[in-house]
Amino acid sequence: MEAIKNAFNFSDLPKTELALASAVLVFLLGFPAMPHSSFGMATMIQFLAFSLYGMGWNLIGGYGGQVDLGKAQYVGIGAYTTAVMMIRWNVPFWFSLPLGMAFAVGWSFIIGYPLFRLKGHYFAIATIATSLVLKDLFEVWNFVGGARGLELPIKGDFPNWLYLQFREDYYYYYILLGMFLIGLIYVNGFRHSRLGYQLRAIKDNESVARSLGIDVHWSKIKAYATATAFVAAVGSFHACYNYNIEPEDVMSLDLSVLIAMMAMLGGAGSIWGPIIGAAILVPMKNYLGSWLGGQAGFAGMDLALYGLIIMVIAAAQPRGVYGIVEAVRARRR
Amino acid sequence: MEDLAIQATKSLVSGLLMGLVFALVALGLTVIFGVMDIVNFAHGEFLMVGMYTTLLTSPLLGIDPVLTLPIAGLVGALLGVMCYFGLIRFLIKGPMIAQLFGTFGLMIFLRNLALLFMGSEPRVIHQGWLVGKSFIVGPGVVLESTKLAVAVLSLVSFAVVWWLINRTKVGRALTATSLDAEGARYMGISTEKMNALAWAVGGASVGIAGGLLVNFWPVEPGVGLLFTMIAFATVALGGFGSVRGALVAGILIGIIVNIPPVWDSMMRLVDVTGLDIHSFKYTMVYAIYFLIMVLRPQGLFGWKQ
Repeated sequence: MEAIKNAFNFSDLPKTELALASAVLVFLLGFPAMPHSSFGMATMIQFLAFSLYGMGWNLIGGYGGQVDLGKAQYVGIGAYTTAVMMIRWNVPFWFSLPLGMAFAVGWSFIIGYPLFRLKGHYFAIATIATSLVLKDLFEVWNFVGGARGLELPIKGDFPNWLYLQFREDYYYYYILLGMFLIGLIYVNGFRHSRLGYQLRAIKDNESVARSLGIDVHWSKIKAYATATAFVAAVGSFHACYNYNIEPEDVMSLDLSVLIAMMAMLGGAGSIWGPIIGAAILVPMKNYLGSWLGGQAGFAGMDLALYGLIIMVIAAAQPRGVYGIVEAVRARRR
Repeated sequence: MEDLAIQATKSLVSGLLMGLVFALVALGLTVIFGVMDIVNFAHGEFLMVGMYTTLLTSPLLGIDPVLTLPIAGLVGALLGVMCYFGLIRFLIKGPMIAQLFGTFGLMIFLRNLALLFMGSEPRVIHQGWLVGKSFIVGPGVVLESTKLAVAVLSLVSFAVVWWLINRTKVGRALTATSLDAEGARYMGISTEKMNALAWAVGGASVGIAGGLLVNFWPVEPGVGLLFTMIAFATVALGGFGSVRGALVAGILIGIIVNIPPVWDSMMRLVDVTGLDIHSFKYTMVYAIYFLIMVLRPQGLFGWKQ
């Protein structure tokens, strides 16, 4: 009961922040009614998806300070569970979604146990290694389509709520927005939860946290598994939204790093961080791509520019955009 | 049985040669890590730059690819120093996560710059002293001259770096910086210069590795990631910051990924479940990294953690 009350309690955030968040929420709810291009819609869906990925990453990476660069493997587990079950056994999305999340959480416990004996760089690179091993496995595993991936069957009679197949994108948009809001409320509850406080204590000083009686290893694993559930859920959605998944697409290192980068760019360890990060990076990447990537002879230019911008941000403001907000707020006091 | 013996010798030899290249690739990473505690995600892209350098300068100057190695080394060193002063210097002050993203941004930048200027099709060197020649050493054991030369030059590079670090004054300053940067600064060592030197040495060795590798490995803009991961695994196995460890671990990994008889039997084993293994051997590298990290986090010759 207490936990639910906490989840809906945003009162500890500054008033201006809440007002701004409400305005954004109203915009998000009304977006499909506003005039927009299909490109704009796709960008918005991607923004929501990456916000959710980032929220998940933020639980362990932001609040816990553990740089996790292997989140894509869970996107893959979620996406593949949904796809395989739909293709082989005709299982609707709403049943495969919790199963995919469960598989991902189970896998995260298995690899989380040895992973969290590592720290710093060692941990970060080890998460990459596990993710790449899984990706390579999926690339040679015929049951899941190998490197070619899987194509989801079209069930007909649109709109199909069971299998999540729609002609118009705004259905997808609202479903993802619903997940986004649930995620936001969960993260808010997490901030006030026992585990949330434990993680922040671990981030500040691990040995002090241990001396206070916190089971550091187990806390990290729990937060890691929770983060995984977020990512796998969006992975499941991604499979239905795209109709087509392949390892290179849903399990690549680039995706893992992008997820972490969104959260970091916005501000790791703050509730708005991942959302701000996704709101900046997703449109930037998409519009750079459509502006420069489409022109002949400029292949690579958009991503080169994108890499350059990432470099500049990492060098200039390592605490992310939210770090700037906090700096301004601190100066005002 | 005799077949197996020949096969084993063959793969042992080619693994040894390949391993020396892996070691050289990892050398740059381990030097940089040892001195600055920073992981460079763009390491494989440095290698790619070295490969393209040799590929382009050799026909341009009309000399053999082997003779362009100093140029590749120079370009690598220059790139390393440029990256240090342009990017890394700002990143060290930030948290670890900013360092990771900074070098990751560098990786995206370099890879796509290569795509922009060089196109996406893989390229190979068609002619040169080394291309297409081989020695027959024993029954069934063939040494390709490219790989042999690469192995020898890799050993030479290792010797040079080892001498530089352990036998020169600059090398001692470098070691001092890696052990205790603050203390080194009090002793009058310019840590800024030492960091830049580490990047120069790291860049040069990986540039030379690229120049050697291009003799038998096709180069394309995305070639870096595989080698970055191999270098990570090598450095982890050998111990972060250990030059000797990089050499031994590189050879070990080279041998592990080049044991076809073993892989054949494993393939048959796994084939039952419907797995189709052919490019699976590099997956093994990541698995090794993971296992080593969990079982012995400091690596074979490591002392940091």
